[in-house]
Amino acid sequence: MQDDLLISARGLHKSFGEVEAVRGVDFDIPRGQCIGLLGPNGAGKTTTMRMIMGLSKPTEGELWMFGRPTTELDPSLRAKVGLVPQDDNLDPDLTVLENLLVYSRYFELEEAGLHDRAGELLRFMQLEAKRDAKVQQLSGGMKRRLVIARSLLANPEIIILDEPTTGLDPQARVLIWRQLLALRDAGKTLLLSTHYMDEAERLCDRIILIDHGKVLDDASPTVLIDRHVENHVLEVRKPLPVDLEPDFAIREDIGDAWLFYVAQPSEALERLPQTSVFRHRPANLEDVFLRLTGRQLREGA
Amino acid sequence: MSDVIDTNPDTGSQVLADEIDRSGIRRTFAVWRRHVLVWRKLLWPSMASNIANPVLILFAFGFGLGAVIDQLEGVAYLAFVLPGMMAYSAMFSVSFESTISAYARFQMQRTWDAVLATPVGLRELLLGELLWSVTKGMIATVSVLVVGWLWGGVISTPGALLGLFAVLLGSFCFGACGLLATAYAKSWELFNYFFTFWVTPMFVFSGVFFEVDRFPDFIQWAVWFFPMTHLIEVVRPLTLDQPLALGNVLLHIAYMVVMTVVAFELAYRKFARRLFD
Repeated sequence: MQDDLLISARGLHKSFGEVEAVRGVDFDIPRGQCIGLLGPNGAGKTTTMRMIMGLSKPTEGELWMFGRPTTELDPSLRAKVGLVPQDDNLDPDLTVLENLLVYSRYFELEEAGLHDRAGELLRFMQLEAKRDAKVQQLSGGMKRRLVIARSLLANPEIIILDEPTTGLDPQARVLIWRQLLALRDAGKTLLLSTHYMDEAERLCDRIILIDHGKVLDDASPTVLIDRHVENHVLEVRKPLPVDLEPDFAIREDIGDAWLFYVAQPSEALERLPQTSVFRHRPANLEDVFLRLTGRQLREGA
Repeated sequence: MSDVIDTNPDTGSQVLADEIDRSGIRRTFAVWRRHVLVWRKLLWPSMASNIANPVLILFAFGFGLGAVIDQLEGVAYLAFVLPGMMAYSAMFSVSFESTISAYARFQMQRTWDAVLATPVGLRELLLGELLWSVTKGMIATVSVLVVGWLWGGVISTPGALLGLFAVLLGSFCFGACGLLATAYAKSWELFNYFFTFWVTPMFVFSGVFFEVDRFPDFIQWAVWFFPMTHLIEVVRPLTLDQPLALGNVLLHIAYMVVMTVVAFELAYRKFARRLFD
């Protein structure tokens, strides 16, 4: 295995009884990048992350981290991974600072430096003012920032974040994004799952798109857009003008409108009659995502 | 796993194993220290439930039953009931902590998930929980002993201090059994059964208030299943300064030790299946 490869999955499967959550996944995660695990609810993102953490055993296939099967990570290697779970599992009986102090003892950090380290991380996540607050008094965004601070205590090599900004307001998301980018620039490897396209596009060097437990594609956001849709999108409101030839571009019916993906918008724009109501925008990751995973609502998701 | 860590053949794998063990103990105590911190913050409510409760019962039975019974098995009733109350306070406190409180952290607050995402392993986490429940049990038992001693219910002080070690051992057994119940609990309802068919029988049938030989034969036989019966059988002669047959003591201790180990292992396996899919 190459030195710069942190995690590597080959033919990874995970079944829970009859349910196959992950069915044959391959990917490599090199050091120092931010990798996004993108997929609808129930795609297998959380299961994959739990397997990487060694909290769940693969049913089949291989999963390696730090050159070892993830089921055989010893404590010193586990200390190099910071986990930010989807549900905030902070200790409700403790204050903000105490949460960090207690947690750092699980990593056997030097007692002398604990307060400095905790203070540093509270500053980094802009939580100094809440130092002595109880966890219940924190907003959702503050809780998530505290969980991220907690994951950084032992100065991990890789930080695994399961939907880090789900349910947060835009201000909180922007702050978290900024700090995650700072971590990546400091050389950390980030693996994050999300179903926010803007988040994936903004943060990730590479995106592993998964659905129904399988990898649909694996590339940088721009490559994904080039590969699956054209660069421009015309959203034309129905009814569609008759003279618009249906086959002149990759197109898609989204209910109240048609989407046309085109490389050069000029030709298509000329062919649109004056009366049609349309919107012209650059293609984004969401177009790729919806084209590859379909537009149906996920039942039970 | 040894081929990666054990790069230097001079250090030898034994040195390495010792280092890992010491780390494991530190991590176990990190779990325990978290509970100490929370306990100190909630000192007065904790004191109320864990100490006042048995002390109140001791007073009630000491005064109430003591006035009627006066003497049992040839000793003052207070002196007779005190070792029973020492064992009961530990049993109740440990059982509560290793079930209701542990279940809250495991299923409601999900703080165990957070702990298990660190180098702390499941065995260390469970040992930390066990150690903490035992700590709470001992705090309750020592309080009962102090009250009983001030009240003149201790006939042999060295015996009572020795008895604390037996209670310590018994507490590990109660804690392991509590964790086993928690491992199988799918909701709070299971603990109704646990308290009705495990904690309460040990309170009323295991010799806290009177000798078990007053029961019909089949109960006398059945009560030996409960570790509480064995514990009281060891503690009572110690505090009363009565003779103890070493062979019997070893049997009682062996029973509690075996039950502790078996219950802890079963709990560990069940938790591993539930937490790690």
